[in-house]
Order: sequence, then C-alpha cells, then structure tokens
Amino acid sequence: MNEIVLETVGLTKYYGQRLAVDHLDLQIPRGCICGFIGRNGAGKTTAIKMMLGLLKPTAGSARLLGCDCQQLTPQIRQRIGYVTEGHRLIGWMSIAYLENFQKAFFPRLWDGKLFAEMMEYFGLSKKQKIKHLSNGQRAQVSLAITLAPNPELLIMDDPTLGLDAAIRRQFLEGMIQLIMRQGRTILFSSHILGDIERVADRIIVIDKGQLRANCSLEEFRKAVKKVKFSFADSIPENIDIDGLLHCRRQEKDCEMTLVRTSDEQIAQWAKKNNAERYHIVEMNLEDQFIEFTELTERKRLFKWEENQQ
Amino acid sequence: MALWIQISAGSNEPIYMQIVSQISEAIAKGEISAGQKLPAMRKLAAELVINPNTVARAYSELEQAGLITTKTGSGTFVNDPKLRTIDAANINILAERMDSIVARGINLGINASDLAAMFRGRVDSFINKSQKREKENERDST
Repeated sequence: MNEIVLETVGLTKYYGQRLAVDHLDLQIPRGCICGFIGRNGAGKTTAIKMMLGLLKPTAGSARLLGCDCQQLTPQIRQRIGYVTEGHRLIGWMSIAYLENFQKAFFPRLWDGKLFAEMMEYFGLSKKQKIKHLSNGQRAQVSLAITLAPNPELLIMDDPTLGLDAAIRRQFLEGMIQLIMRQGRTILFSSHILGDIERVADRIIVIDKGQLRANCSLEEFRKAVKKVKFSFADSIPENIDIDGLLHCRRQEKDCEMTLVRTSDEQIAQWAKKNNAERYHIVEMNLEDQFIEFTELTERKRLFKWEENQQ
Repeated sequence: MALWIQISAGSNEPIYMQIVSQISEAIAKGEISAGQKLPAMRKLAAELVINPNTVARAYSELEQAGLITTKTGSGTFVNDPKLRTIDAANINILAERMDSIVARGINLGINASDLAAMFRGRVDSFINKSQKREKENERDST
C-alpha cells in the first residue's frame, strides 16, 4: 500500500444549522492525480478549506503530509501548493513583484527557471501588472506561481472555472508535468468531467456533504451501469437486484442504475423475472456521474403530452 | 512511421481502451510493423495530456493481448505476428462486435448473402492494403 499523503477522519462542518460536510473519511495515496467531483454546493470547497486549515472543522480532523491540518508548520506548508477558485491575486503587483513576494515563502524550493519558462510559454511579460491581466492570464500566473515551488502535494479548487479550452488544457499539461516528477500528488476539483477523465487516475465523489465514492477512475467507470429492461406483462413489484441505486418505471419498461452489479448478475435477474429483453446502456463519465448522484426518481423537466389536441 | 493517436475525453470508451484500439488497428493495418518501437509511456502521456498510468494501462493490455513486448531498459516493441497467440475471450468480444454490424446491415435491408459477400470483400481489401504496406516498409528498410 502506498503512503497516504492526505487523510481526513470524520471531517464535518456545519454552517449554522446547515450541514455542509458530513463525516468525510478520505485517504489519498502518494503519486496519484485525484479528481474531486460533486455538484454545486456538495461541499467540495468547504472540505478543501478545512484540509488546508483555512476553515475550522465542526468535528473531525485532517492530516496533510502527516501533519494535522490545524497545526501546519511553515515547513509543511512549503511543500503544499494551493490554487483557489477565481485566482485572486493582488492587483497592484507586477508579475515580477508577485514572484518575489511568493518566492519568500518557499526558500530553496522556488524554481525561477520554470517560472520564467512558463511566463514565456504563456506570452506574459514580468513587467505586466496583475490588475491589467485578463481572467485567463491571471489564471496562468496563478498556475505558474503554484508550480514554481515544485509542490509535493498540489490542491486545486476548480482551477479552470470559467476558463477557455486552451487555458484549461495548459492547466492539465501543468498537472501532467508535475505528476511525472517522483512522489507528487494532486487533488483537484472540477465540473468538467472530460478534464477529470484525461488526467485523473483516482476520483472522489461527494454529494450533499457525504462521501459517495473514493476509488480508481477505472473502477468507477466499470462499476456504474445503466440497464434498460422490457417486460412482456408488467414490471415486477419488488426489484431485488444487487447494487440497485434507482429505478425508473415507465409502463412495461424500466431503467435501472446499478453499482457494482456484474453482467452475469444482470443476465440472471432478467431471466428470473422474465424480462423480454434488456440492454446495458453505454455511458460516458458525465452520464455515470449524473446517474450516480441522482438518488430520487427523476422528475422530467418537460412532460410531453402525446394526446394533446 | 508516425503513430497518430487521437484521444476523445467524454467518450463512452475509456481512454486506455481508445489507445488500445488505435494501436491495435495501426498494427493490423501494417502502419506500424513488427519490431518497431512504440513511444515511451511518459512521452506519450505528456503528448496526449493524459495520466501516465492510463498509458501504462493501455500498454499492459496490449502486452496481454500479445501485440507488444516491453523490454526493461530498452522500450516497448511490436511483436512478430507469427508469435501472437489467439485468445478465446478476445474472439468472443470480436464476435459480439460483428453481431452489431450484422444487425445494422439487416436494418438497412441488406440480405444475408449480400452482407456476407460485403464482409468478405472488406476483409480482402484490408489484407491487400496491409500486405502492400508491409512490402513498402521492407523496401524502405533495405
């Protein structure tokens, strides 16, 4: 088993009466890129802020690189990179000034050559002032100042929110370049599941503050299935198939979302219940995520009235 | 000869399978021939902007299928077709894929014998093309 670089135990946060993060138990092994996914308001940002010691948990704890998140020493902080949503940087600084300012927090670790190369790659001059940069350029600067100290653990909270496809790709490139170095680990949240699929080898899914999945991406891709069954007479009253997450009934057809149900189990169930036919619907990661996080029977947004005059 | 791999994120097919099927196809078509070296995993990962483990996963799948061999220290190479073994499970998967093509043909209104003739024709032209390519490769290398 790999060494664990990030661990949370019963991590919980209440905002007044509202439960934002609910007893999160996580372990992230060294060397992976972990995609952190969940719908808006699922608790991703709150969880990340608690992990970094920026927000006090109501209960539970987190450890980063073996150190309690509420007692992170400057020595430990130096080994952690953090990118926030929106890339808020100090406007009056020039890029050169910002570099010097940041560098001071990472004595010995700062890779000035890498920073300069990235500025050149992005077509930015160090003389430019932060406040005159576009959102995309500010994100590029933020990526460069995060990667320059060569972080051992990189945590990014929806770093590509609102960015164009080209800049998003640069973030992915940055992550791949970092992970190629020995012993680096990345945790990043995003709503762009195509990006997650490209670079992540593990995923964490949270929904309404609760952990729903923490596994390899491949395992998740294999585990979540949608199957459509058609019955000659009627759908069985009691659906007793292993791994059933939810079931939508429509006349003689039903559509089930299953987790970790094998193809053999599906075939057996279909036979036992006299299904006329069935087929396993192919899904991409996005479809799987939607099916997986939707627990209630789907309410259709539009209802097509067929017999309308 | 260059190896072109196109990744489509958000597809139903997992990324490692996209790599597996594209490399397998390139080998079958003779675009890359026996003994040829595949790109290093880390280099390919950086080029395609995907996780290095995904490339490793694809290569190990290709190795299990007997299409390539990784020699420690020197790289990954395409196997000689004569040395490949035929795996029953893979044949089953292939048969299932053929079924879906047959179903499409029938839905288009093509009768069984025409469909079979069409399939035969495609196989012949595929083999001709890849043999032609192999000869060209031999000529290039001598």
